[in-house]
Amino acid sequence: MIEIHEVTKKFQDKKVHVTALKHVSFQIKQGEVVGLLGENGAGKTTLLRTIATLLTPTDGTITVAGYDTLKNPDEVKKKIGVLFGGETGLYDRLTARENLEYFATLYGLSKHETKVRIDDLAKMFGMRDYLNRKVAGFSKGMRQKVAIARTLIHNPDIILFDEPTTGLDITSSNVFRQLVHQLKRDGKTIIFSSHIMEEVTMLCDTVAMMHKGELVHHGALEALYSEEDNRDLNYIFMSKLVRGNQDYAS
Amino acid sequence: MLRNIYIKEMKDSFRDRRTLLLTVLLPIIMMTGLVLFYENMVSDGADETFQLAVNESFSTTEEALFSGIKNVELVKSPNPETTLEEGDAQAALILSPDFIEKVQKGEDASATLIGDSFSQKSSQVMTLVTTALGNYEFHVVSERLNGQGIPEKLVQPFTIVQKELTEENDGINLIAMLIPLILALAIGIGAGPSAADLFAGEKEKKTMEALLMTPVNRMTLLFAKWLTIASIGAITGMVTLIVVSLEINFLTENLKSAVSFGNNVYLIIGAAILVSIIYAMFVAALLMITSIMGKTIKESQSYSTPIMMIAMFPLMITTGIGINELSFEHFAIPIMNIFTILKELSFGIVNYQHLGIMIGSNLLCMIAAFIIGRIMFLKDKWVMN
Repeated sequence: MIEIHEVTKKFQDKKVHVTALKHVSFQIKQGEVVGLLGENGAGKTTLLRTIATLLTPTDGTITVAGYDTLKNPDEVKKKIGVLFGGETGLYDRLTARENLEYFATLYGLSKHETKVRIDDLAKMFGMRDYLNRKVAGFSKGMRQKVAIARTLIHNPDIILFDEPTTGLDITSSNVFRQLVHQLKRDGKTIIFSSHIMEEVTMLCDTVAMMHKGELVHHGALEALYSEEDNRDLNYIFMSKLVRGNQDYAS
Repeated sequence: MLRNIYIKEMKDSFRDRRTLLLTVLLPIIMMTGLVLFYENMVSDGADETFQLAVNESFSTTEEALFSGIKNVELVKSPNPETTLEEGDAQAALILSPDFIEKVQKGEDASATLIGDSFSQKSSQVMTLVTTALGNYEFHVVSERLNGQGIPEKLVQPFTIVQKELTEENDGINLIAMLIPLILALAIGIGAGPSAADLFAGEKEKKTMEALLMTPVNRMTLLFAKWLTIASIGAITGMVTLIVVSLEINFLTENLKSAVSFGNNVYLIIGAAILVSIIYAMFVAALLMITSIMGKTIKESQSYSTPIMMIAMFPLMITTGIGINELSFEHFAIPIMNIFTILKELSFGIVNYQHLGIMIGSNLLCMIAAFIIGRIMFLKDKWVMN
């Protein structure tokens, strides 16, 4: 479904030279839920943005559902839905419905398709009461639900979440987790970055651990537990980082 | 797709109170203030009464010198200069003792006029007093010459007749300055907030990433956003023109009497609207670049402010240039050419060649700005923080 091959991403201008991704390679199968782990600055967001065609790799290739992200970015965009962490990226002066309608238009959905899809998503996220209210007055949880609905408006096969539960309360986080389960049942491929190990343990089939732009581990969660002879993902992650730092130093 | 994005951007922009405030309310307030200020400037002071401080010993014969000036009231005071300093008069006149008698006898006599040349009212009083004293001086010289059998023409060999090139009065010159200045400022101020919001604002709120994740061509996004900025600028320009026309018509006398376009009225209005739209399109392209450059709305505004200030400079250049002295470069340099073309239109002149130069140069610069904007908008560095 997603093939990442030897991807390197460098950011450079007159003063700064940063290699955010270093020869990253791994594959993700259809219907798989992948947890992307790493410290701040490890390259998780850059990797997600590069898969999403928002950034172009300096080197290497990424294929999504058979389409090269450089050669067919528009086809890739139709297959992917992305929600980046921090800000929810909604238009405050528009209503929740207007936000969803606008993005449905941009993804080329017909009026009928848009209506049906918005009704389904509003039901799924319990948004009916505030669908026609301006986003400006929404709580963080309400905004997050509308943002997720916007991500799913074109019913993408692949969904990328960048720290989706950051700043959410327990109820909203649980809504998100239930959603991931639902999407997994529907056969969607999901990659999400997170700092919350409990969340990763609960939702993911596989994990990809990143450290200073390099992929230090990729594999099934159960295989990782067996390999490390430990079921504490937090402990495993920290020991991987320590090993990664030693390798980096040598 | 372009239409859908454009409609959404317009809806979003007009739901912003700042846009409404700056596109409708601000032009109305600015217009009213400036129109009334210019109306006051153009007023010749005929209805106003000025005060001239004179010494307490001012005789009726001396008063008679100023009997022809109806709007100057004499204020007798023990110290005319103090009266002037205290603001009870706009000018002070100190005549030497027994002024008339001494003049009649041909003895030394002096008249000291004190005032503030930077004050419009004081200048007016000083001009009126100088004219009255000048007339008296000429009368005395004529009498003396006649007494000795010498004709007046000996000291006045010829007369000077000064004629204006155009029949227009001062009012039209002020209108020719006022309208382009207000229009240039209003379009920039009106379009500014939307421009900052549409690129820098989207980056700041992270909606840009969501937008770029859709399969919509970036050029379509860029064009729709530019069109939105240009439309808001053009709407502000229209509101400005309408408000200024209504205010000149209903709130002024001198400015109203200065405007007479004759049979060309509709042509001139049409040309002024066209010029406003072209200028709004050009400014939108510049504002678009400053907004792409900014990572936040605040940063974008700090880039756009100097551009808005540039719009003030042409006023200083074009004010001192007569309508017949305008040449190719005055119509070819963008921003300056809105001042020159509107100056021509204010004088009732519709010159298609000049209009063509103005539109062509603005379109060329706009295309150049658009190409720069497109290059920037395609680069990751400029579209993502």
